[in-house]
Amino acid sequence: MIMRIDVLGIDVDSNNIMVLGPPLVGKTILVRTILKEKVCEGFGGIYVTTKDTAEGVLDWFGRFGVEGVKVIDCVSKTIFSDAPDTEDVKRVSIMDLTGISVRINGFLERYLRSGKRDVVMAFDSVSTVLMYMNPHTVFRFLHVLTNRIKSFGAFAFYTVDENMHDERTVAMLKQLFTGVIELRDNGDRRELRYVSPSLRTEWREFTISGDVLEVSS
Amino acid sequence: MRVGIPVLDELLKEIPKGKTLTYYIDPEVEGDVFAMQTLFRNLEDGYRCAYVTSTMSPDSLRNRFREFGWFVDEFENFSIVDAYSHYVGAESKERYVVRDPTDLNEYDRVLEKVLEENDLVVFGSLSTILDICGEKTLDRFEEWREISDSVLVSNFTAWPYPEEVLERVKELSNAVVTIGGIHHRVVLGHYYGILKVDWTKVRGKAVLFKVVKPGGVRAYIPKILVTGPYNAGKSSFVHAISNRAISVDRLGTTVALDHGKVEYKGFTIDVFGTPGQERFDPLLRVLGSEALGVILVVDSTKPETFPRAKQLLEKTTRFGLPYVIAANKQDLPNALKPEEIRRLMNLPDTVPIIPTVATKGVGVYEVLDALIRLLIGEGYGESEGEAREGFEGS
Repeated sequence: MIMRIDVLGIDVDSNNIMVLGPPLVGKTILVRTILKEKVCEGFGGIYVTTKDTAEGVLDWFGRFGVEGVKVIDCVSKTIFSDAPDTEDVKRVSIMDLTGISVRINGFLERYLRSGKRDVVMAFDSVSTVLMYMNPHTVFRFLHVLTNRIKSFGAFAFYTVDENMHDERTVAMLKQLFTGVIELRDNGDRRELRYVSPSLRTEWREFTISGDVLEVSS
Repeated sequence: MRVGIPVLDELLKEIPKGKTLTYYIDPEVEGDVFAMQTLFRNLEDGYRCAYVTSTMSPDSLRNRFREFGWFVDEFENFSIVDAYSHYVGAESKERYVVRDPTDLNEYDRVLEKVLEENDLVVFGSLSTILDICGEKTLDRFEEWREISDSVLVSNFTAWPYPEEVLERVKELSNAVVTIGGIHHRVVLGHYYGILKVDWTKVRGKAVLFKVVKPGGVRAYIPKILVTGPYNAGKSSFVHAISNRAISVDRLGTTVALDHGKVEYKGFTIDVFGTPGQERFDPLLRVLGSEALGVILVVDSTKPETFPRAKQLLEKTTRFGLPYVIAANKQDLPNALKPEEIRRLMNLPDTVPIIPTVATKGVGVYEVLDALIRLLIGEGYGESEGEAREGFEGS
């Protein structure tokens, strides 16, 4: 199963894709850009946020006129204990991995029952979860989640901060993903590429201006 | 002390003093509500109850109770054991506070008091304590059971831990209630059942449930759709498998719905037969929205109706429902064999196609068996888990 991502000029051939790069290189804007493109094409969109509130995420998509993204907000409950849920926004504590898992499944079920089979999810970011829970716990959680995404036939992108975790942790997590979008910052230029067992693109330069990410042709 | 959960209350009767009950939860199922419901039921009965929270702040927990209409703060006999706030660097105003939730000795210190002062102690997430403090948590849990004759109720999320850990969790409890999901691309439905209990004799049962707000856990009866082209034998099929059934007929064909109630191998199932005519197709969407599975009845002697059969299948299974084909009218001359039907309808090998003669009841239960196996897995009816033996709605 291959999905074209026009904005990056690449095809991806894995349901579960790690987006790996150093802090501040642009991982968040990359996964948001992918989700924006796919939702505009008619895909269902789910965004799990551990760094920004649901309002912040929806505001970002709203600036591009994109509506209908379902958000699982793992931030608000840490700040406001009574932050309410809505049809499209579910809030859980970042410590409540079962709660996150249940809400993702709930959104997938809603898409399935409404006849929508093409769904893209962004999980931003795995690194924040690793700050609260040990790597084995996070691995078990992601093991269940990646299997669910695969059996649904959705595509999911999980951001991971490079150099923030030890090599063993990253190596362990990599077992769960069959594709990686790697990002790097060479000082004067930022680049990305997609790597999977059967596909490997060249490094491609990208720039970020405001909310807009562009890949050089 | 009562469990406070439909059906379980009748099966488990009272939880005796000093016993432990674990809700053993599929990671994708909203199962934390079970222990909350047990706690609230006993609060109302006047027992002193404490809730150990490890995954959310005390205020979030109170709000979570409130979502279900359970206003725990109105009860003086309720208290929270805060094992969350200090983990995320926040202060706590609760009566009981675990100041270092990574340290089991700190749990010992706090729980000794909690267990002495309360009749029921609920662990909101034993698995989270296990994740944070390691496998020694289970040794300590064994010791906590001995501190007093309080009842201990735990939620345990069954992440893919090593098998010996999962087994140990089950061994540690006097009663284990599994809370599982019906997986088919997503979790389409939820059930609970008793895996073990040592204070009463219970025959294994599984109950489908929904979580409603307000209200909590509610048992319900699953719905199965029987669809197929005009005159394929849907009504005969529904009547053949049902203990009670009615049809709304006009000039010998169904113009509204067949409805049957099936009691089979401990399952209680509502079966709905859809009319075959195209003008009734809009009904399929309504019926399919809450169904758990589809039985497609085809007339094996009329391949010219197969395109319509496929159309009905697409309309009903667009919800992602699992389905089984009943190759009906196998007693008639020229009836096509299941494999010929599979080829003509271009169906995957994984789809069960069962030969039936609905008017004589031949093969109809095999169809039901095949669908049930698709819904709850190959373990159905085997010794793996008694809880998988049957569904029962309240």
